Amino acid sequence: MFEKLDIVKPALKNLVSELRKKYAYASVLAVQDDSRAWRINRAGKRINNVGLGGGSGYVVRVFDQIGCAEYSFNEFSEEKIPEIVKTIDERIAHQTANVPGGIKPLPTPIPSDETATLKKVSGYTIDPRELGDEKILERLDAIRNKTLSVDGVLDAMVSVSYRKFRKLFISENRDLDQTVMWTNGAIVALALRGEEVKDAYKGFSQLGGAEILDRMEEFATEVANKAIELLSSEQMIPGEYDCICDPDTTGMIVHEAFGHGVEMDIFVKDRALAASFIDERVASDLVTMHDGNAVDDSATMWFDDEGTLTSDTVVINGGILKKGMCDALSAARLGVKPTGNGRRESYERKVYTRMTNTYFEGAAQNVTLDEMIASIKYGFLLESPSSGMEDPKNWGIQCMVTTAREIKDGKLTGKIFSPIVLTGYVPDLLKSVSMMSGQLVTCGSGYCGKGYKEWVKVSDGGPYMKARIRLG
Amino acid sequence: MIEKIKKILSECGINRWRINEVEEESAELFFVKHQLDTRRIKDTHKFVVTVVRESEKDGKKLSGSMGANIIASMTEQEIKAEIESAYYAAQFAMNPDYDAPEKETSECVCKKNELTEKPLAESAGKMAAAIFSADTNEHAYINSTEVFCHRYFKRVVSSNGTDVSFTDAVCKGDYVVQCKEPEDVELINQYQYDDVNVDAIKEGVKEYLDYAYDRARAQKTLKSGKYDVVICADNLAEIMTYYTEKSAADMIYPHYSSWNIGDDVQNDAKKDKVDLTLVATAPFSSDGIRMKDLQIIKDGKLTAIHGSTPFCRYLGLKPTGNFSKTRCDNQGSETFEDMKKKPCLVAVTFSDFQTDAMSGHFGGEIRLAYLVEDGKITPVTGGSVNGNLIEAQQNVVFSQDRYVSAGYEGPYAAKFENVSVAGVE
Repeated sequence: MFEKLDIVKPALKNLVSELRKKYAYASVLAVQDDSRAWRINRAGKRINNVGLGGGSGYVVRVFDQIGCAEYSFNEFSEEKIPEIVKTIDERIAHQTANVPGGIKPLPTPIPSDETATLKKVSGYTIDPRELGDEKILERLDAIRNKTLSVDGVLDAMVSVSYRKFRKLFISENRDLDQTVMWTNGAIVALALRGEEVKDAYKGFSQLGGAEILDRMEEFATEVANKAIELLSSEQMIPGEYDCICDPDTTGMIVHEAFGHGVEMDIFVKDRALAASFIDERVASDLVTMHDGNAVDDSATMWFDDEGTLTSDTVVINGGILKKGMCDALSAARLGVKPTGNGRRESYERKVYTRMTNTYFEGAAQNVTLDEMIASIKYGFLLESPSSGMEDPKNWGIQCMVTTAREIKDGKLTGKIFSPIVLTGYVPDLLKSVSMMSGQLVTCGSGYCGKGYKEWVKVSDGGPYMKARIRLG
Repeated sequence: MIEKIKKILSECGINRWRINEVEEESAELFFVKHQLDTRRIKDTHKFVVTVVRESEKDGKKLSGSMGANIIASMTEQEIKAEIESAYYAAQFAMNPDYDAPEKETSECVCKKNELTEKPLAESAGKMAAAIFSADTNEHAYINSTEVFCHRYFKRVVSSNGTDVSFTDAVCKGDYVVQCKEPEDVELINQYQYDDVNVDAIKEGVKEYLDYAYDRARAQKTLKSGKYDVVICADNLAEIMTYYTEKSAADMIYPHYSSWNIGDDVQNDAKKDKVDLTLVATAPFSSDGIRMKDLQIIKDGKLTAIHGSTPFCRYLGLKPTGNFSKTRCDNQGSETFEDMKKKPCLVAVTFSDFQTDAMSGHFGGEIRLAYLVEDGKITPVTGGSVNGNLIEAQQNVVFSQDRYVSAGYEGPYAAKFENVSVAGVE
């Protein structure tokens, strides 16, 4: 699989050489994609291969006298090189000519093109293609039936999907090659309360293959029971409470409330409050935050979409904000080193600074969940995040979770509230973190948008975390 | 290329199929303040070949389908391998069989406007110029903006003889507005038009610059409680997705929605009764159905169910195709200005406003709202709206003022009574 890129690689090098005759910098990212998704619910069985990574294609980046310009296309061969070079020359020039009067280029030094060579392939236990459609659907059917066996469940939707992609990055000095496969799964159980359909969700993710199905099976009954529990949920009484976030909710806070605010392309735009807090306290001593390839999950990679090698970025260390994540263009503009976070939704889209695997470390002292619950006079255990939105300029929090379990006098009462909106000011929440469990759990079953678009695969997570949070 | 694919399908012995061809060109501009960040162009040409495999079980006809992604530079051998792989997989995803949509044939329906006919680079430049020309607010300014101009050629060819094609174009993007004093704040807004629309984008930018200034001086004093909440513009469009999703065949067939034609879906509403029409924005759907506007709710009652071919067929209905625009036909019972004369919370921007059609829940964190209390209007920020449409729709009042965007046309605002709001103190 993906041999096509081996065939076109010499031509890609020739394309870069041709472009370098005219432009101060030229590179090409080539992507070859293979994906498939299987889903079963009451509406039927579905298999599709559309929409998991944007497909196969190419994007060229050049620097002219104005700055950075890019051309995305999906037809390439040695014979097409003159046509591609001509397209870039003529259409980029025409575009430049139509930029409104009075607009000057944003000064951008050409990013470093230090020599680098790399070839990496991610591992897996079971190749979904080898396991086959029939077997995968059988396994999903069994998981669904287990979920449906709980009384009161209206329907269960189970799904699994994988994306395997190979990316080549070629510039004058770089020759990078990576093949990565991630697999995701989901179980959704639905239950009916009058006109309302309540749903409980559990996502699964890993850097790897169809072995994820084993883990999914273990959670079928738990997800079904959660949906049934939601039928007796009540509306939250707004207020500020002592809360324990489950690892998924911790992950959403890491990602939405803080992570987006340290994506350094927004530092260039003066859109980030975090820019003025470097080396300042933004969280309690217990909080250390990472982004990058130190864990294996859906967003693990060895180089980003601009050919920068990835690493482990420590964003917050013991509550002190140390640095952000940065793509190559923003790093050049800010005079810092890129961190390998320049990512595209697909070869058809622009690069932005994006998170990868983002998480809070577990605590050195392994506090248990029971100990955390026992420490609360009145509060909630927050579970199952459903969505969140960033506010990098003002550090406002908007996160939604499906379930808040009431805690009274150190014990869960069995009472449930749903749905819940978390709001507040990010540093207030993070400085209020008073307990962390030891175990780090990440999940990368979702996609992350920048603003309201540019969806890329990310994972996030952390340990159980106790903090003071405003709920509504 | 289509003929090449048809030949391969025939050689593979596949007799039920559909080919969706999409050719796309774009011109994109990215700005930081009044400086040019990046220029981008794009040319892609893709084919999705959906193959259908038939079977029978217990005397019932079944079929399964799967798509294969094809590009023109693939060899015949590569195309054949993709199609055969999809056809093999389709046998494991069997569902009740359904009839394909009626055969449609047509010459290419070519959209004629500035965006479809002029070079995209010129359209992108013109939209960017319009955005910057509106950047005249005394207090707030454009922080950054992105302009995407896309042009498409789409063709649908299927084994039942359908062969239709059309052109389309869209201009979309976003702008971030910022105000430094008295507090440094920003707001982000997305836009989308089907033509170069200089006046609309200027108006939008001006409105958001005003909002940014109001957010900068907004009070963080909203108290928790029940409010009459006014939802505006695109957030109101988001609320309307409750009705479009609940009336969709793919929600009704698996019983996620219990709606039937003739049902009073607004539960005996006391105030305005919803009138909703789905608007055809393209001449043909992705499965080749000729698209027509479709009224789905009249006086709060469901008049039609909509959706793609399989689910409509399963429900015994004629497939309508999938729509991407909703028109709320209510003309409103009071003006937006009159709404603001009574105590209420006018929520104009949220971090992310969402509606869950399954549960009826709607809400989001308030970035800017106007609290109307004791005859005074105070900009407020922070806190969240947390409502449920199943109850809130019984007492809704639409504004007479209208709003138009790419995906919605209708009243600019709607007031929902007694909605729960979590405050900041």
